[in-house]
Amino acid sequence: MNSVQGITLRGMEAVGVEVEVEIAGGLFSISIVGLPDAAVRESKERVRAALRSLDMAVRGRVAVNLAPADLPKEGAVLDLPIAIGIASAMGRLPSVPRGIFLGELALDGRLRGVRGAVGAAILARDTGVPLFAPADNAEEISLVRGCEAYSVESLDALFACFRGERSLPPVSERGPEEERARPEPDFADIRGQAGAKRALEIAAAGHHNILLIGSPGSGKTLLARALRGILPPLSHEELLEVTLVRSTLGLPFERGLTPPFRSVHHTASTASVCGGGSNLRPGEVSLAHRGVLFLDEFPEFRRDLVEGLRQPLEDGVITVSRASGSALYPCRVLLVVAANPCQCGWEGDPVERCVCSGAELERYHRKISGPILDRIDLHVSVPRLLPRELVAVEESGGESSEVIAERVRAAREVQRDRWASLGFTCNAELPERVVKRSLALSAEVRPFLSSMAGSLRLSARGIGRVLKVARTIADLAGSRLVEVPHVGEALAYRDGGAFR
Amino acid sequence: MAEHLRTGARGEELAASHLAGLGWTILERNVSFRGGELDIVALDGDELVVVEVRTRSPGWMQRAEESVGPRKIARLVRAGRVYVDSRRWEGPWRIDLLAVTLDGDAPPEIERFEDITAGGWSS
Repeated sequence: MNSVQGITLRGMEAVGVEVEVEIAGGLFSISIVGLPDAAVRESKERVRAALRSLDMAVRGRVAVNLAPADLPKEGAVLDLPIAIGIASAMGRLPSVPRGIFLGELALDGRLRGVRGAVGAAILARDTGVPLFAPADNAEEISLVRGCEAYSVESLDALFACFRGERSLPPVSERGPEEERARPEPDFADIRGQAGAKRALEIAAAGHHNILLIGSPGSGKTLLARALRGILPPLSHEELLEVTLVRSTLGLPFERGLTPPFRSVHHTASTASVCGGGSNLRPGEVSLAHRGVLFLDEFPEFRRDLVEGLRQPLEDGVITVSRASGSALYPCRVLLVVAANPCQCGWEGDPVERCVCSGAELERYHRKISGPILDRIDLHVSVPRLLPRELVAVEESGGESSEVIAERVRAAREVQRDRWASLGFTCNAELPERVVKRSLALSAEVRPFLSSMAGSLRLSARGIGRVLKVARTIADLAGSRLVEVPHVGEALAYRDGGAFR
Repeated sequence: MAEHLRTGARGEELAASHLAGLGWTILERNVSFRGGELDIVALDGDELVVVEVRTRSPGWMQRAEESVGPRKIARLVRAGRVYVDSRRWEGPWRIDLLAVTLDGDAPPEIERFEDITAGGWSS
C-alpha cells in the first residue's frame, strides 16, 4: 500500500494526513473517503488532468483514503499528495521519499500556493521530515528555522526529482528584511496634539491600549495611523506568529518588520473580527496580533462584538468555538479606540455648539464606558485645533516618528530585559499578581497612591493598571524606580480624564 | 432489411476496420444479452473498451455524438458491467463513442470520443 503524507488545517495548526490509494479494475472512477470537504472532493478533476498532462492516464476504479478517518479535511492542499499516491499506485514512480507534500494542482500540472504552508513547515520541522511545498509559498516557509524544505514548481519537476533526474531547489532560511519603510503618516506631519502624541508614545512603549476622544476632524484617525510608525519592529519570532495567522487565511506574505495595522469598520460582524465560520477562521483581532487594532467610531460598534473582545484582549489569545470544533488564535493587540465626545460630536468644542440633550449625553457616555473601557489604560482627549491655532503651530512641526520610535525602542528593550525571566516582553502583558511586587516603586509612591485612590475611586485592577502605565513612563524617562510624577501622569490618563 | 438498419450495419463495419487500423484487437461484435447490447468490444492495449457506434447520414438534425444522452450512457454503463462480469474481466475498462458519418460515395467520416463516462460518472 502506498501512503503519502499531506496536511490539513485545524485552526492554525497543520495536522498530518496519510493519503492511501488503491486502484482496482473497472470503469474509471475516483472516490475519496475520509471526511473530505468540497474542495478536496473536487481535487480528483485537477489531479486527473494534471497527471494526464504528464502522460499518465488514470484508469480503473481509484479509491483514495484520507486518514485519520474522523478528522475533517479541507482545501486544495491535498491535491499534491493525492496525485503522488495515484501515480505511485499506477506503478509510475520508482519510490516516494519520506516527507510532507502540499500544493494545489493546476490542470497543466503546475503547483499553486496554498493556505497553511507555514503551519506545515512547523509540523515538518517538529516531526523531522522534509517539506515539499509550492514555490509560491517558499518565502513564508523560509521564516521557519530548522525546517528542511524544497520548493516545487510543478508535478513534473517533483516526479523528475523522484526519478533522480534532477534536484529541487531547497528553500533557504532567511531572516526578515532589515530595513523597513516608515509607514505614513509621520508624527511630524501632525500639527499640535502634543498631549495625544505623548500618550501614543507611552502606548507604543508599554503596549497599552488607548482611547482617543475628540470632535470630528480633530485628527483621531490620523494619530491612530501614525502609531504604527513608532511601534518597535517585529522580532523574528513575532513576524513568524503574524505570518502564521496570515498563512491560515491564505493572505499574501508581507516581508518587512512593520507591525500589522488593522482598521475595523463599525458595521463588521462579530465573526469577522473575533474569528469564526464553520471552518474556524481567525478574525481581524488575530490579524492584528503583535500590531494595532483600530476601532473608529467606537460607540457605533455592536455590543456583542465589544463584549466578545473583552476577554481575548486580556488573555492575548482567542478561542473560536463552533459546532465543528474549536481553534485557538493569538490576539496580542494594541487596541486603539476612537470616539466622538458625544452623539453630535461637538461637546466641549470651543466654537461649535453641542446640541445633545442631557439624556442623550448620559446615554452616549454609558455606551462608551463599561467593562471594555476598564481594559484601556490611556484615555486621551484630542481637541480640535481652530484654524488660527493650526496656522500658529504650522512652524513647529514637532518630533518625527523616527525620533519617537527610537525612544520607544529603548524603553521596550529595558522592559524585555526586565521581564525576560518571567516570560513577558512588555509592561502591559504583566498579570495583576506580579505587578506590585516587581515594579520597583519608590518609597513615596505608596502613600501618594493610597491618598489618590480614595478620591479617584480606583479599583484594585485600576491601581494595577495605573502602576503599569507609570512603569512605562518611568522606562521612557530612563528611571529605574517609578516615582511620584510618573504615577501622577499615569493617573491623568485614567477614565474620566477625557470626559469633561 | 430496412434502410436505417443497413446504414447502421455499414457504419459498424467501417468502425471495426477503423479500430483494427488503430492496432486494437476486436474481441466481439454485436454482443447481445439480457440487460443490453454492445456494438463492439475491443482491447486497446491492456484496457478493455466498449465501443458504441453511431452512424448518421448527412441532413440529420442531430450530430451522432449528440444522440447519446445521459440515459443512453447509463444503459451503456449497466450493460458494460454485466459484460465484464460475464467475461470475468478484472482489468480497467472504458466506454468510447465512435461517430460515423456516411455521405453517399464520399469517404466516410469517423470520429472517436474516448472515455465518455469519465468525469461525473464516478459510481
